[in-house]
Parts: sequence; C-alpha cells; structure tokens
Amino acid sequence: MPFLSLRDVTKAYAGVPALRGATLTVEPGEIHALMGENGAGKSTLIKIIAGVVAPDSATIEVDGRSAALDSPAAAHRLGLRFIHQEMNVVPALSVAENIFIGRRYPVRAGILVDWRKLEATAREALARLGITHIDVRRKMARLSIGDQMLVRLSTAFLSEPDAPARLYVMDEPTAALTAEESERLFRALRDIRAAGGSVLYVSHRLDEVMALCDRATVLRDGRSIDSGRLSEITHDDLVAMMIGRKVEEAYPKPASAPSPEMAFVVEGLRAAGIGPLGLAVRKGEILGIAGLANAGQRELLRALFGDLAMSATTIRLGSATYRPGGPHHAWRKGIAYVPRERRSEGLVLSRPIYENVTLAHLVDHSIGGTLLNPRGERRFAASLGDSVRLKARDTGQRALELSGGNQQKVVFARALSGNPRLLLLDEPTRGVDVGAKFDIYTIIREMTAKGMAVILVSSDLPELIGMCDRIAVMRSGSITETVEAHGLTEEALLNRCYGRPAPVAA
Amino acid sequence: MSAVPNLLRRYGTLLGFALVILVFWVNLPETFMTARNWLNITQQLSMLMVVAAGMTIVMVMGDFDLSVGSTASLAGIVVAVLFTAGYPVWAAVSLGLVVGLLVGAFNGVLVSLIGILPFVATLATLTIFSGLAFILSGGKTISGRAIPESFGSFAREGMPLGEWGGVAITLPNLTIVAIVTVLAVWVLLEQTTFGRRLYAIGGNIEAAHLSGVAVRRLKLIAFSLTGGSAALAGIMYASRVASANPTQGSGLMLNAIAAVFLGMTMSEHNEPRIFATIVGVLILGVLDNGLTQMSVDSYVRQLLVGGIILLAVAASSISRRRR
Repeated sequence: MPFLSLRDVTKAYAGVPALRGATLTVEPGEIHALMGENGAGKSTLIKIIAGVVAPDSATIEVDGRSAALDSPAAAHRLGLRFIHQEMNVVPALSVAENIFIGRRYPVRAGILVDWRKLEATAREALARLGITHIDVRRKMARLSIGDQMLVRLSTAFLSEPDAPARLYVMDEPTAALTAEESERLFRALRDIRAAGGSVLYVSHRLDEVMALCDRATVLRDGRSIDSGRLSEITHDDLVAMMIGRKVEEAYPKPASAPSPEMAFVVEGLRAAGIGPLGLAVRKGEILGIAGLANAGQRELLRALFGDLAMSATTIRLGSATYRPGGPHHAWRKGIAYVPRERRSEGLVLSRPIYENVTLAHLVDHSIGGTLLNPRGERRFAASLGDSVRLKARDTGQRALELSGGNQQKVVFARALSGNPRLLLLDEPTRGVDVGAKFDIYTIIREMTAKGMAVILVSSDLPELIGMCDRIAVMRSGSITETVEAHGLTEEALLNRCYGRPAPVAA
Repeated sequence: MSAVPNLLRRYGTLLGFALVILVFWVNLPETFMTARNWLNITQQLSMLMVVAAGMTIVMVMGDFDLSVGSTASLAGIVVAVLFTAGYPVWAAVSLGLVVGLLVGAFNGVLVSLIGILPFVATLATLTIFSGLAFILSGGKTISGRAIPESFGSFAREGMPLGEWGGVAITLPNLTIVAIVTVLAVWVLLEQTTFGRRLYAIGGNIEAAHLSGVAVRRLKLIAFSLTGGSAALAGIMYASRVASANPTQGSGLMLNAIAAVFLGMTMSEHNEPRIFATIVGVLILGVLDNGLTQMSVDSYVRQLLVGGIILLAVAASSISRRRR
C-alpha cells in the first residue's frame, strides 16, 4: 500500500490549467523523484501536498485512507516535511532558533524557553545530516550560504514525537550545495529510506536523480507519467519523457568562431573581496568563469557592471576606454546583465512582460524620451519574445504568472533589448528546465554569432565546457588560470576550481 | 476560485461606496443628491485630493510621506508672511510652492541619499516643518488686512455652469485646481517614463536598479513633488479661509494615506493608482458630508469612518489570502 497517493488532481489558476488529472503515489521506503519542465505543474502539486493550495478536484489518500490536506498544519500532522526552494532563514536568529522556526520551542516551568533542550534537539537534527561543524548558537547571518542551506535542510530532520516524519519533500535541495555537502544529504536520504521513510525529490539535475531515486513521476503539461524503476531506463529516456521529444544535443554548436578583435579588456581590477585580476573577451567569444561557491564570481560581474565600487588600471570596451558608472551607464554603453536571482533581482514580477522587457532602454521606446508608447513597447516585446522563444499568452501578462524558464527568457529579452556589445550572465540556467535551457543556449549562440561578447558565470560544469570558448577559473577572488574549454573534462575543471594539480593523464 | 469573490475583491469597495450613497440619498432626499451638495463636497475635498494625489506618487514606490500636513501648514504660513511683507499674490504663491518642493526634496535626500526609512524620516520632518511654521507665524493665525482681497476671493469664486432648478451653479475654483492637479499626476504616473519607473521601483527596487533605473534621483524627485502638492493644498486652504494658521494642515496626512489605501483595495495588484485614490478621497468626503447632514455626532463620525476604512481593507485582504 502506498504511503501517499494523489489521483486525478486538477487545478487551474484564473482559468489557466496547471494540473489536469495528475497522479502521484509514493511508497514507504522509497526515494521518489518528481520531474518536469518549469511550468509542468511541479510546484503546484507540491503546494497541494503541503496544504498551501487547494486543488479543484483530487482524491488524496494517506496509508490507504482518505485524507484532507487542507492546511500546512494538517500536512505536518500527517508526517509530511518540506524543504521549499526559496531560501527562508532569519539571519538575526541563531542556528538552533532557525531550525525551530514554526515549531513550538521546548519549555520549562510552563513558560520559559528551555534553551539547553532547544540546542540539543537542534544539534541532533544537524547530526542526522552528519553535520557537526556548525555551532547551533551561532547567528545564521555568520554562516556561509552552503551552511545556511544545510541548516534549512536539517529542519526537516527535527524529531517530533507527536507527529513523526513519514515523507520528506525536497524541492531542489542541492541548488546551493557543494558536491561534498550534497553527498552528505544523499547519505541522510538513503538512511531515511532504509528506515522505511519516504522522500519526494524534486530536481532538475538528472544525474542526481538517476543515482539517488528509485522511481520518478514525470509531469508534462499538468499530466503525469510514471517512469517505472529508474534503474531500468536511461538518462535520455527520462529527458524524452520530460520534454516529449528526443534530444540529440545538450548544447547547440557554435555557428562561427570568435573574431580576433577584442570586445572587452580589463586589467588590474580590484573591488571589495576580489582582485587584482584581469580578463579579456573577444567579439563573438564566450568566456566562462568557473569556481567554487563564493569565489568572487558574482562580485566580478557586479564590478564590471558598475554596481560595485572598483578600480582598474585599464578597462576598454571595444576600442574606447570604459569607466563604470552604475547600471544605468552600463546599459547605455552596451553592457547587459542577467543577474543570478531572476525573481528578486531580475524581474518586476507584478508588472507585465513588456514593461520588464523595455525597462532598461525605456527612453528608446518612448515619445521624446518622456511619454510612454505602450503599443510600440508591446510590439517590440512581442518580436523580442519570439526571438527568445518566450511562451506567454501575450506581452501584457504579468511576469509572476510565467514559469521559471519563461521568466528567465523575459530577463534575456531585456538584456538583448539594446543590442549590447557585452553580455554578463550569472547562472543563467539555474532552476530552468531542460527545454528552456536549450532555448537559452541557442539564444546565446545566436548573439555571439552576431559578434556579441559573453561572460558566463556558472556552477554547472558541463554547461561551461559545452558553451564556452575559454574558461577562467576563480579562486578566493582572483583568476588563477584561463584554459581552453575544448577537450576539457569535468573532473579536470573541478580540480582546477579546488586548486588541485591536474592528475597526470593515463 | 470562482469569479464572484474575485469581482467582489476588485469592486467591493466601489459597491460599498454606491451603497453609502444610496443610504444617504434615501435618508436625505432633499439635500444629498443635488448638484449644489456635490459641488460643495468637491470643494471641501479639493485640498485632500491634491495632497492624496501627491501621496500617491511616493506610495507607488512603496514609500510614505507623513510630513504632508506640516508642509501644507508651512506653505500657508510662508505665503501669508510674504503677503505681510508686501509681496504680490503671484510671487507669494510661487514662493510658497517652491518652499513645498524644497522641503519635499529635503525628505527625498533623507530617504534616498542618506537611506533613512521614509516612516522615520518624514515623522521627524513632520515635527520640524511644523516647528518652522510656528516660528514664522509666531504661533498666531495670520489674517485680516495682510491677506490680499484677490487671494481670499479666489476660493469663493468659480466657473459658472448655468442654472439647475432655478439656482445658479458654479464649479468652484478650488475644485478646478484639484482636477488639474489630479490630471497632471495621472499623466505623470500613467503616461510618462517617470511614472513607469516609479512603478518598477515599487514592484522590485533591486530589479529596477539593476535595469538602470536611477532609483535615488527618482525618489528625490518624487518626494519633491509630494512636498509641492502638499504646499499647493496648504495655499488653497489659506485662500479658502483667507488666513493662515500653523496647524491648519494637520488633518490632511492621515486622510490622504487612508484614501490611497482605500484606492489600493480597488486595484488588481494592490498598487496605488491615482483615480482609485480619488475614489478613496470621495468615499471619505461623502461619508463625512452625509453623516454631518444626518447630524451624526462628530465623535461617532470618526468611529464610523475609521471602521469603514478597516472594513474595506480587511475585506480585500481576506479575499486575497488563500488562492
């Protein structure tokens, strides 16, 4: 008998169907993957399980008995635990307090918080993940992003005798983790499975899913496909199920070689936490920036974009000297930026697509620089939307109604809106589904074919190797070396990121 | 979710407004639904409309200006003091408006360049501007011969609209000023790149900044305009009572913020919109007018108005909660 079973789940938002009769069953003692492109209905299904969103219709059973998931509290009572995608920590509180957020603190004498018990229980939750290096009394703000993520994950492992955990739902839990930290998490998940608990695992990282999970449910356009045992299918089968067609290549081939002409050169750059460093990109070239988390990649892009105070001995954009003067100046000079967090840094979610697309060069789409010309803006956004393969009802649709991949395409449309000479990309495909990823790669290729130079920061090593001409490796705020991407292996690149000497080729 | 609660959320406030009008109409069949009464309401409300329109500008960015009442008082006093010093009407009024723009810019500097929260910054300047008004006026009402006749008569006059039921009807000058201001703010917020950028800041300040929106400069300008509109309202009030008093604007701030919030309950994504704000102003004004005519005690009136604001905002928040 399955632990959790949802059948014929339907849900529409304002008439737009998100789920059309999806089915999901999770057995006890299994790690079950939930896969699908962005917009396929994954988040909606998870929100329904969490009791945050009410389905229009569904048959829900827990342990074979009909169950109501009508509130987060009800889901919690049934033993469901959630790690949602968005980071939510309170930086000013301690690690232990963060682990206990939303739970009742242990008390003594009826009203006083039992700090010792709180800390002990928190330590125990961390230990379930094999973590002993984090002091539970430290303030959350003092932890690295990876450690913060581990703390968040550990909240699911808090023991609660009155509502024992039965199913752990994890939405992209490894997005901000290093390989070692991820491995620790996988070990904990396997322990849960061995003890008869269940895991519902959501991830875009196929390798992870293939290695960790027993079965997968693939969602496509709000309908579900049961993959059967993952050990019996291939990576490509799974991708084909997700996008509904076969994929030949993960990365589109470059249309032309980079020109010998330099597009952007910087020497002796220093900014808070980075430098001194130098780099150069040619026209039509994609320069990758590799490195471990927080090696200064984000700061480098921000400094080049003029959003971070910096100094440099030389900066040349094309043949002219360039002086960073803030984002406004950068856009005008032909430098475009796709920030890492599309929801908090990229988009004005409450506003329509066309307003987001024209925002960086609004003056060019206005009458005399002052009066708005919404009709012209819509036309412009629609044509740029086509060229980035944006799927939307119309350009008046609010950005928040789009799936993650389409939101990212809106950010790209804006970046391309002024025909930039230099495109700065920070993790452009993070949290983007397979189909949209390929679209984004194609857009980048098309732009470089027209002579645009690209600096691509990414933690996805295959992406760097598949897309870039050269890759600069950053460590502790400096560029330690720059290598040709062609023929590079993931392992060799990772070793360079860690600063380990490349193993001698056999 | 079905369409009915959705409609209720968007139009609930308007529906409530219609209901309020109906109740007054039935209870006051002689006096309420007359052109004269409505023109009277718009004149009484003209100052609040101007301030609320200015308040909408900063609230679009998600900011507040608590100092508009003091700014209005200060501008009224400045104009009256200039009259006493013998300045002609056009010069005194212009300088009064300039003072409004300057104190607004001061708020803008505090908020955008120094980075103080608008709530705190304008709470402090509320007191400062009020203090300035008291110092300039010596704490007294400035009235009498110092105020030019043409300045006081401006508020009493208007544009004749013809006759209605044997009574001459005129559109009060103050109402005209309010309408022009509201239209100007509408053009600014809805038809210009400036307004578009303010809405972008209100929606996501970080994304706006990274998209090249000059956030600091725009905040500075927006706060200046809010200050300017508050000054205009203060000068209108001074004209209406042909005098200036250092506390005359004190009631404006809370009502202006209430009007914007009432208006926000009518907008789809809870954004301040200028015409919705004006409906908010009308709701407040009509309630006051009708209840006064029905001889409801002024303390009870306060209670009712506050309750109705809460009701509208609560209804809109509740219908938004679970989607």
